[in-house]
Amino acid sequence: MLKKLISVSLAGVLAVGLAACSSEESTNASGDANYPERGMTIVAPSGAGGGWDLTARSIAKTMNATKLIEEPITVENKPGGGGAVYMAEYATKEVDNDYMMLVKSPPILINNNKAEGNSPYGYKDTTPLAQLTRDYGAIVVKADSKFQTLTDVLDAIKKDATGVTLAGGSAPGSMDHLVGILPAFEYGIDPKSVKYVSYDGGGEAVAALLGGNADVIATDASTIAEYVKSGDVRVLAVSSPERLEGELSEVPTFMEEGIDAEFTIWRGIFGPKNMTDGAKEYWSTKLEEMSNSDEWKKELEKNGWQSEYKNSEDFETYLKTQEEVIVELLTALNMQK
Amino acid sequence: MNTLQFLMDGFSIAFQWQNILFAFVGVLIGTAVGVLPGIGPMSGVALLIPVTATLTAGLPTEAAAASSIILLAGVYYGAMYGGSTTSILLNTPGESSSVVTTLDGYQMAKQGRAGSALSIAAIGSFAAGIISLIGLVLLAEPLSNVALQFGPAEYFSLMLLGLAAVSGLAGKSMTKALMMTVFGLMLGTIGIDAVSGIARFTYDIPVLYSGLEFLTIAVGLFALGEVFKTVLERDHEDGTMAKIGRILPTRQDLKESAAPILRGSFLGFFIGVLPGAGATLASFFSYIGEKKFSKNPEQFGKGAIAGVAGPESANNAASGGAMIPLLTLGIPGSGTTAILMGALIMYNIQPGPLLFDDHPEVAWGLIASMFVGNLMLLILNMPLVKVFAKIIQTPKKYLLPIIIAISFFGVYAVQYTTFDLYLLLACGVLGYLLTKNDFPVAPLVLALVLGPMIENNMRRALTISNGEFSIFVTNPISLVLLLIAAAWLLIPLLLKLKGRSVVLNEEG
Repeated sequence: MLKKLISVSLAGVLAVGLAACSSEESTNASGDANYPERGMTIVAPSGAGGGWDLTARSIAKTMNATKLIEEPITVENKPGGGGAVYMAEYATKEVDNDYMMLVKSPPILINNNKAEGNSPYGYKDTTPLAQLTRDYGAIVVKADSKFQTLTDVLDAIKKDATGVTLAGGSAPGSMDHLVGILPAFEYGIDPKSVKYVSYDGGGEAVAALLGGNADVIATDASTIAEYVKSGDVRVLAVSSPERLEGELSEVPTFMEEGIDAEFTIWRGIFGPKNMTDGAKEYWSTKLEEMSNSDEWKKELEKNGWQSEYKNSEDFETYLKTQEEVIVELLTALNMQK
Repeated sequence: MNTLQFLMDGFSIAFQWQNILFAFVGVLIGTAVGVLPGIGPMSGVALLIPVTATLTAGLPTEAAAASSIILLAGVYYGAMYGGSTTSILLNTPGESSSVVTTLDGYQMAKQGRAGSALSIAAIGSFAAGIISLIGLVLLAEPLSNVALQFGPAEYFSLMLLGLAAVSGLAGKSMTKALMMTVFGLMLGTIGIDAVSGIARFTYDIPVLYSGLEFLTIAVGLFALGEVFKTVLERDHEDGTMAKIGRILPTRQDLKESAAPILRGSFLGFFIGVLPGAGATLASFFSYIGEKKFSKNPEQFGKGAIAGVAGPESANNAASGGAMIPLLTLGIPGSGTTAILMGALIMYNIQPGPLLFDDHPEVAWGLIASMFVGNLMLLILNMPLVKVFAKIIQTPKKYLLPIIIAISFFGVYAVQYTTFDLYLLLACGVLGYLLTKNDFPVAPLVLALVLGPMIENNMRRALTISNGEFSIFVTNPISLVLLLIAAAWLLIPLLLKLKGRSVVLNEEG
C-alpha cells in the first residue's frame, strides 16, 4: 500500500518535473554514464491508432514491462503532413535531445525525396538506432463493397478514375498513397488520375471507409486485422512477397493478382542527430536485448508484425539502399524532387 | 434487458474497493490537472499510464485493464470539471475547451459572483456527465453509426454553421467581429497543410510548421490582455472589488442555468461523438446557442450565468460522447481519447467493434465507474469552490504577477518552445489593443479552431465529388446544417427589413 502511495505521489513529481526539466533538454547530458536520468519519450509522428503509434507504444510497453528500461517511456502523437511536420521539429529543435526518440518508416525517405510537400530533413538528420519490424500495405474495402478482387478495383479506376475514391491516413505522395496507387501504376493507370483523399491517421481513414466516404483505402496490413475479424471490412490484396500469416492468410498478394509489385513497410526507431555516444550505446544495447525478449515476440505476434531486427549500423546501410529504391519509384511516378 | 444486465455487472466491477479507490484517485488528479494550467488532460493521462501499469501489476490482465482505464478516464473527465476554475477566477483558460468560459465567468467573478460561477460549473458538469453517460449506455450502438455517416461534406457544413454563428460572439460592432473572424481564419492557415503537405506562410521557420498553438493565442489574448489593461489603465477598482457574496448559486441562478445545462449537455454529447470535433467546439457552440436563446442576450459578456453553465456542461458532456467512437469503433475522437486507447492496447485490449463482446467487463466497468466518478467529482468540487473563490480576493498587486507566471508556465509546459512565449507576449499586447478598441477577440479564437477544419474537410469533400460543389447540398445532413447556417444569418436580417424590432448588433 505504501508503495502504491509512493507511486502516486511520484506521478505528481513527475508531472511537475517534466515541465521543469524541459529547459535542460536542449543541452547535452554531460555524464553519459548516468543516462538516462529521467523518463524518455518516443514520438509517433501521426495520430493515434496507426502503425507508427502502435510500434511506439509496443516498444515503450515492452521496455518497461521487461524492466530493460526502468524509467517511464511516454508515447506522444505529433500528427501532420505525413510525418513531415514533426520531422522538421525533430531535426531542428530536438537535435540535441537525448531523451526524444522517433518511430519512422519509409516516409522518412519518401518525404525527403518527393517534390511536393518536401521535407528538407531525411534519415541523415537523425541517428538510426534499429529496424524492428516490417509490415505490408493492404488494399481494403467495406464488407459489402461491390469490389471482390483487386483487379475489380483497378478495372473500375481504368474505366472511370473519377468514380472510385481511394483514401489513406496520410498526405498525397506519402506511404498510404504510394501503396494505393502502386498497383494502379503497374496496371497501366496514370497514377495522377487516381482520386486520393488524405485523412489524419489510419483510424480516420477506416472511419471514412466504414461510413461510405471512401470506396477503397490503403493502409497497413497489421492495423486492419481487428476490423476483418469483426466482419466490417474485406482485404483485397497485400503488398507482401508471400502470403501473410494469421488473420490475413486468405488474402492474395499483389503478385498473385497479377500486379508485379511489392512494398515493404519497415519500421525503425531513431535518435536525434547529435545523440551522445553514451545514449546511442544505451539504446542500441537495450533495443537488441528487447528484440530477443519473449515479451517483444508476443507483441509482434499480437500485432501481426513480422520481426526484422537490424542494428544501428546495418540499418543505416539498409536505409541508404532503400533511399535509392524510393527515388526510383518516385521518379517512375513523376513525383520526385 | 441485456444492456441493463451488462450495466449491473459493470457496477459490480466499479464497486470493487480498489476500483472505487482508482476512480477517486483519478478524479482527484484530474481536478488538479484541470486547475493547473499547462498540464492538460492529454499530458496528465499520458504521464499516469506507466504509474497505473505499476499499480495494477499484480492483477489479472482484464481486471488490471479495467482498473487502470477507470483511473485514467477519471483524470480525463475530472480535468473537464477543474478546467473552468482558472478561466473564471483569473481569465486564464487552462484548457482550450474552457476558453469560452472566460467570457462570462470572469465577469461574474469581478462582480463577486465567483462562488456562483464555480459551483454552477460543477453542477453543470455533473448533470452533463450523467446525461452523457445515459446517452452512452443507451445510444452507443446507433450513434457510432451516425458518427460514421459524418463524412467530409457534413463536417464542412457543421464547421460552417459554427462560423456563421460567430455573430453570437460579437460585441458592439458586427463589422469588427467579422474582421476578427477573418484574421483568425488567416492565422489558421499558417503551417504545413495537412491535405497536400505543402508549407504555407512558414518562411522556412520550422517552429511555424505545425502552425500557431491555439492555447498560446487564447491565453495571450484573454489573460495577458487583461493584465496589460489593468496595469496600463491603472484599474483602481481593486478597492471596490465586490466581496464574494455566497458560495452556492441563488435560486435565480439555478433557474437561469437549468435550461442551458440541459441544452449544453445534449449538444456537447452529440458533438463529442463526432471524431475530431471535440470539447472546444462543443463549448463554443453552446455559448453561441445560449446567447441566441436567451431573453437577455445583451447580458452575455457581462456576467450571464448561462454563459458559464452552458459551455461548462457542453465540454463535460463532450468527453462522455467521445467515449462512443473510442469504445465501439476504436477511433479516438481527440488527443486524450487516443491516449486512453493506447492504454487499453497496452493491456492487449483492442478498442473497436469487438470490445463489448470480447471484454464486456472492461467496457461496462468503465462506464459504471464513470457514474461513480462523476458523483465523487461533485462532492469533491463543491467544498473546493469555497477555497478557490478566495483567490479572487487577493490584492491586484499579488494577483497580476501570479496570472503572468501561470500563463507563461502553462504555455511553456504545453509547447516547450520559447517561440510560444514571445507569441504569448505579442498576443497579450494585441489582446489589450483589440479589446481597448472594441474588437472582440473571441471570434478570432473560434476562427482559429474552425479554419483548418473547414478547409481540410472542404478539400476532402471536393476531391470525393470530383470538384462538384453540389456534394454539400445533395448530402441530406450537410444540407440541413447549411440551411440552419443560412437561417441563422438571414432571419434576423429579414425580420429587421420587415421593420420588426429585433436585437441586432448595432454598429458602435
